[in-house]
Amino acid sequence: MNFIERGKKRVLKRSRRIIFMGILFSICFFIIALKAFYLQTLQEDVLSRRALKEYRRAGRSMAKRGAIYDAKMRELAVSTGVVAIGAHPKQIVKPKMTAALIAKTLKVSNSKIMGKMLSHKSFVWITRDASPDRAAVLKKAVADGLEFYPSYTRIYPNKTLAAQVIGITGLNEKALEGLEFYYDDYLKGNARKWTYIRDAIGRIYMRTEESRDGGEGKNLVLTIDGNIQYIVEQAIKKAVNRFNARSAMAIVMTPASGAILALANYPLFNPNSYNRFPREIWRNRAVTDPFEPGSTMKVFLAAAALESGKCTPETIVDCENGKYTIFDKVIHDTHPHGLLSLFEVVKYSSNIGAAKIAEIIGPKALYDTLTDCGFGEKTGIDAPGETSGMLRNYLAWQPIDNATIAFGQGISVSALQLITGVCAVANDGLLVQPRIVDRITNADGTVLKKYAPRVVRRAFSQSVARNVREMMRAVTMPDGTGPQAVPKGYTVCGKTGTAQIINSRGTYEHCDYNALFVGFSPARNPKLAVLVVVNAPQGSHYGGVVAAPAFREILRKSFNYLNIPPERQVEEKNEKKGQAGSSVGEGK
Amino acid sequence: MSLEREKKDWFSTDPLIFFPVLLLTGIGVVMVYSASSEIALKGYQNEYFFFTRQLVYACVGMLAMAFGFFFPYRLYKLLAYPIIIFSVLLLCGVFIPGIGHSAGGASRWIDFKWFMFQPSELARFSLIVYMAYSMTKKEDAVERFSIGFAPHVLLLLVFTALILPQPDFGTILILWALTWIVMFGGRARLLYLLGSLIPLVPITLWLLVSSDYRLKRAMTFLDPWKYPHDEGYQITHSLMAFGSGGMFGKGFGQGYQKLFYLPTPHTDFIFSVIGEEGGFVALGFIIAMFLLIMWRGIFISISVKDTFGALLSFGIIVSITLQAIVNMGVDLSLLPTKGLTLPFLSYGGSALVFDLFCIGILMNIARVNKR
Repeated sequence: MNFIERGKKRVLKRSRRIIFMGILFSICFFIIALKAFYLQTLQEDVLSRRALKEYRRAGRSMAKRGAIYDAKMRELAVSTGVVAIGAHPKQIVKPKMTAALIAKTLKVSNSKIMGKMLSHKSFVWITRDASPDRAAVLKKAVADGLEFYPSYTRIYPNKTLAAQVIGITGLNEKALEGLEFYYDDYLKGNARKWTYIRDAIGRIYMRTEESRDGGEGKNLVLTIDGNIQYIVEQAIKKAVNRFNARSAMAIVMTPASGAILALANYPLFNPNSYNRFPREIWRNRAVTDPFEPGSTMKVFLAAAALESGKCTPETIVDCENGKYTIFDKVIHDTHPHGLLSLFEVVKYSSNIGAAKIAEIIGPKALYDTLTDCGFGEKTGIDAPGETSGMLRNYLAWQPIDNATIAFGQGISVSALQLITGVCAVANDGLLVQPRIVDRITNADGTVLKKYAPRVVRRAFSQSVARNVREMMRAVTMPDGTGPQAVPKGYTVCGKTGTAQIINSRGTYEHCDYNALFVGFSPARNPKLAVLVVVNAPQGSHYGGVVAAPAFREILRKSFNYLNIPPERQVEEKNEKKGQAGSSVGEGK
Repeated sequence: MSLEREKKDWFSTDPLIFFPVLLLTGIGVVMVYSASSEIALKGYQNEYFFFTRQLVYACVGMLAMAFGFFFPYRLYKLLAYPIIIFSVLLLCGVFIPGIGHSAGGASRWIDFKWFMFQPSELARFSLIVYMAYSMTKKEDAVERFSIGFAPHVLLLLVFTALILPQPDFGTILILWALTWIVMFGGRARLLYLLGSLIPLVPITLWLLVSSDYRLKRAMTFLDPWKYPHDEGYQITHSLMAFGSGGMFGKGFGQGYQKLFYLPTPHTDFIFSVIGEEGGFVALGFIIAMFLLIMWRGIFISISVKDTFGALLSFGIIVSITLQAIVNMGVDLSLLPTKGLTLPFLSYGGSALVFDLFCIGILMNIARVNKR
């Protein structure tokens, strides 16, 4: 082998090996290209979705929420502009100094802010409702690490007033209770939505608007009158304090239109700081909670008896001197009576008399009138969580039920159902739908929707209504069960009630009673219907003693506020002037 | 051959290498800007911080390329030992306080006041030069263990010992692979080359099992989505970058993974950023450029008449290609994570200047042998 040939062979071997490496590298590049192609075509959806999930976030801000006004356009709930302030603790250069500055500006405790600054989270909320002025000061002073989000906070200027009716709009504009919840679709402003791209250290890199226009929410104008509401709340508060009661509720309604002027639940709570109050007092119990109505049911028994044609006000029953055994149950009267007419059964509130009248007319007649008066079904009030009460079909009644339902046991009703039924008596037999919202207005004040009074049905005839009114008028006479309900100078048709409270086990609590008074005034031309329910009073549990004074106070002050003059004064004036006048007068 | 022709040849570059390299370097400068602007803004309050530096490095690199192009490459034979000594000195200098510079827990740089220099780049170059020199000098005996294999591995072990404490496992890995491949090209016996690899298998397994950390690294490589918050964080975000790019990319500057999701978008993961912003089209183009450069280099290497030139050009082309393949493979999760940059594209002065210098030498070899 010569030298040149050997050299050629070497070069050949080397070249072969070099080309072999080139091919090997090419295969590597091919695999790389293949993997890139696989990731960027087949895996594109999966991977880009994973990436999006990490860096894209959605945000939304609500336009201003509508306000809630009372009947006289007083603000009950309003939204005001605030600034929510958040912080990225890791981005804040001098946490100690910044915390002190924030604490000073927002007038909050330094240690609390410092705690948030030292948090290991990438984002913390400093406050959700700083005033715009203070936020502006902070924005100027702190360069990095703080985020400012304009938003709104809900303010209830009258604090506890009508809180359970209005309800609550909580954090993040979330409606929780009451009208705020029921009318949320109208009240809430349109959301402005956007998406933003977030970098890995939590800063917002890019923002894109999804929908810009955020129309303001609609306003509610209620039938509630803030002044009457206040009167009612004070009256039941007084009753609760006086009798050491657990709670109380009261409703004031205009019988002819069904407009609710006041609806109060005691204890009160402040929706501005709702979290500090127990949850169970947030709800509007007058609408949501059923209870046994007790003797107030005798009003409807009387209506049923007269409507059936089997009785007249003068129909006499034997009241067995206070003790009457029906099947295996003994019925008692508070005061023993002998023979009483239907009229007197209502006036003196005899349970035995009521049971006997019910026996005369039979279950069907009683059931029909009760259902016609709206018991056992929802009134359709515009408030969340309404109960329909409990009224079983008469075919399912036990023999004893007919007698007990006549005096308000074995049936449960809501306060709203009860006063709505009583309003039918005041309305010559017409059952009207109770309502709490008068109209919905646009942000500029123009009316969007008006709720007119609505007659549901005729519950009983006009003459029946008149007769029942007479009986209810007698209740408030000095020898009736509820004389304390009458404000001086006015006439009142009413009915007392005392009902044992059914506990959660479905049995009667021995010493827990509801004391009730329901009625309307003036007797001849009812302007206001009022129901007062005092829950678990101590000392006395009679409606005529516990609830009637509050009823009287509500009427007296409301009439005064509404400029409805005392009837006798008017009559005297009219007599003096020798004119025939209406009971609604110009004087006080 | 006329004088005019000779003069023209003196300046004639190899267009199939020169323009791809120029293109890649240009793309690199632009993509370094896109990938680093947010990081630079946060770290240095200057979004052009890395961009301007890379631009300067590219210019210096062009000068280095010119130097490599005009400096007679055969003289490197004489310089082989001085370069090795110089490399070893600089590698030691990394650990001398006041001269060495550390960043991110690694001491890889020497502070020359005006610029930072990464001696491992010089070490790589000196290894290539030395191997080309030694395998040329003893060309007849290159198949002997003590001539064609042992000296190269010895030098490699010296470099390994000096680079290991930096630490820079990625570079060590590249150096070993480079040495083996150049020995292979230089006709070392396959018996030694492959035989010495056999003990690697149990050593690798033992290393894996002996440390929970390394085992987890390996598990992460097999299924990065299982550890998306710790070990798999980098690689999953790199994969998301590729996936988000799709076929045509999101457009220049429109990528999101560089927004602090990818830890080093302008160095180790620039290929991912290009994948997100330029899509498969851009990646395909870059891969094609590397293929072109490689095959052109291989063509030069096999057509060169002198052994030294052939092995030197082969070493250069292997060094660049290997680095590119490993970087791309890591970014695409084909290889376990190693901190390595992509030639011509990644941010980094020493690497860019040396790579361009080497390309200059490659074109020098091509030109001289064309005559």
